[in-house]
Amino acid sequence: VGKSAVVGWLLLAPSLVLLGGLVVFPVLYNIWLSLFDKHAFMPVQSFVGLRHYRYFATDPEFWASFRYGTIYAGATMVLQLGVGVPAALLLNEGFRGRNLLRGVVLFPYMIPTIVAVILWKWLLNDSYGLVNHLLLRAGLVSTPVPWLGPDYMMAALIVTSVWQFFPFVVVTYLARLQTIPPELYEAATVDGASAWRRFVHVTLPQTASVLFVIVLLRSIWMFTKFDTVWLMAGDGGVSRYIRTLPVYAYARSFTYLQAGMGAALAVIMFAMLLAATAVYFRVFRSEEVFS
Amino acid sequence: VRRAVGLYAASAVLLIGSAFPFLWMLSTALKPSGEIFATPRFVPLHPTLENFSRLFADTSFLVFFRNSVVVAGATVLLTLTVSALGAYSLTRYRFRGRDSVAGLILLTYMFAPIMIIIPFYILVRQLGIVNTRLALVLSYTTFCLPFCLWVLRAFFQSIPLELEEAALVDGAGRGRTVWYVVLPLALPGLIAAGIFTFILAWNDFLFALVLITSEELKTLPVGVNDLFNATIVDWGMIMAAGVMITVPTVGFFVVV
Repeated sequence: VGKSAVVGWLLLAPSLVLLGGLVVFPVLYNIWLSLFDKHAFMPVQSFVGLRHYRYFATDPEFWASFRYGTIYAGATMVLQLGVGVPAALLLNEGFRGRNLLRGVVLFPYMIPTIVAVILWKWLLNDSYGLVNHLLLRAGLVSTPVPWLGPDYMMAALIVTSVWQFFPFVVVTYLARLQTIPPELYEAATVDGASAWRRFVHVTLPQTASVLFVIVLLRSIWMFTKFDTVWLMAGDGGVSRYIRTLPVYAYARSFTYLQAGMGAALAVIMFAMLLAATAVYFRVFRSEEVFS
Repeated sequence: VRRAVGLYAASAVLLIGSAFPFLWMLSTALKPSGEIFATPRFVPLHPTLENFSRLFADTSFLVFFRNSVVVAGATVLLTLTVSALGAYSLTRYRFRGRDSVAGLILLTYMFAPIMIIIPFYILVRQLGIVNTRLALVLSYTTFCLPFCLWVLRAFFQSIPLELEEAALVDGAGRGRTVWYVVLPLALPGLIAAGIFTFILAWNDFLFALVLITSEELKTLPVGVNDLFNATIVDWGMIMAAGVMITVPTVGFFVVV
């Protein structure tokens, strides 16, 4: 309808100003900042080149955070698939109450992280929590498990995160399942394929590309997840048993007020994700998952 | 029959896994403190609202709640306005580079907030809007924009141009045409984008943590986390706070 390019650009201008000013510029400024020693809010800054990067290369805290972050992202991603894919397969079947269940399953994903975290801290509370109560009564443990202590902190964080984020896998996978032509299943059934074989030979090949995307997105999002990890333990006490790279970057910038170092960590995280994504594409694309 | 039993058993597990933690939160919020620390039972023996009244009377919870409503509401209005203008431009005007601009906008969605929060904080400080609601509204709007623009773009594309042309020929101006023809037809998209935006703004923790320092401007996630960390945890009151924060989300779920 519209002919005028000027009006077109004008209508788009507010979006471009916001995205340019508050995303693109900060991203570039972040790279620049990582070359400086800069206080988080005092104006002083001095150029240090690549010193921060060299520092982190031998920084034990950095490597510990990297390890925790990788364990956290890997474990939560696998478990989200392990829960989410069967749940989606179930919700793709026809039965009464299915639509209600489809809605209820979304719930953990829609609530604020603070609610998910306090909820699980209460369920996992060592003295009064429901989980320990049930475990004790079932005779599975003889003394309460200190879920939020050093040894089990990571497990508690993983459980909370999987519960909070598996609905994303359900919804995304279910959306793709619904578009598989029923004829494919009918043909397989006529050929006498069992439910398991139908899953392996029809469902999996059909959903390979959506699984590819889910694994990619969820890994990136879990690797850069800040709020759930931070809210589980803050940055004192037991937090060192779950401190991932985002929490370390936050602590550097806003607890130690070393904005330059925090910025360098952000750049490192981004570079790691970029490299991992490139490898991921190379490995799986070349195997022609997408046929 | 075996299949039906299996389906319902699996559904029950899924239902309990997803919903039970919320019901347990509600149950705890309605218990007097004596029952909270006794042997757990699901239905409170003596249900009470005292946890809620303590939450409202003794803490700044209502201030946090109001701040969250104001910030999330303003974010929804601003995001819908900006993204509707942008999506209209991307679907109704022809100009060089239009499709690459749309692609670049989606690309900005790839940056996780934690990766730009540091320069973002410094920028907001230099603009002199640190510790204001405006800073929160602007950051949430920016982070919702790529998604909302793309959703609305898809909806606008599906509206036939003939309808608009007919209205224009009938003498309605461009503004009236958009208001009376295009927006009503794109309503489901506006609602979806609005809910997405509201939930993001309502749930955010990181920006609120970094950009807001004064007590009277804090939003719910940070405020409730402070309550949690302040003293020995008052579990009944904290669960009551959790129930209250979840209410708007339940509301959307029931309505939609």
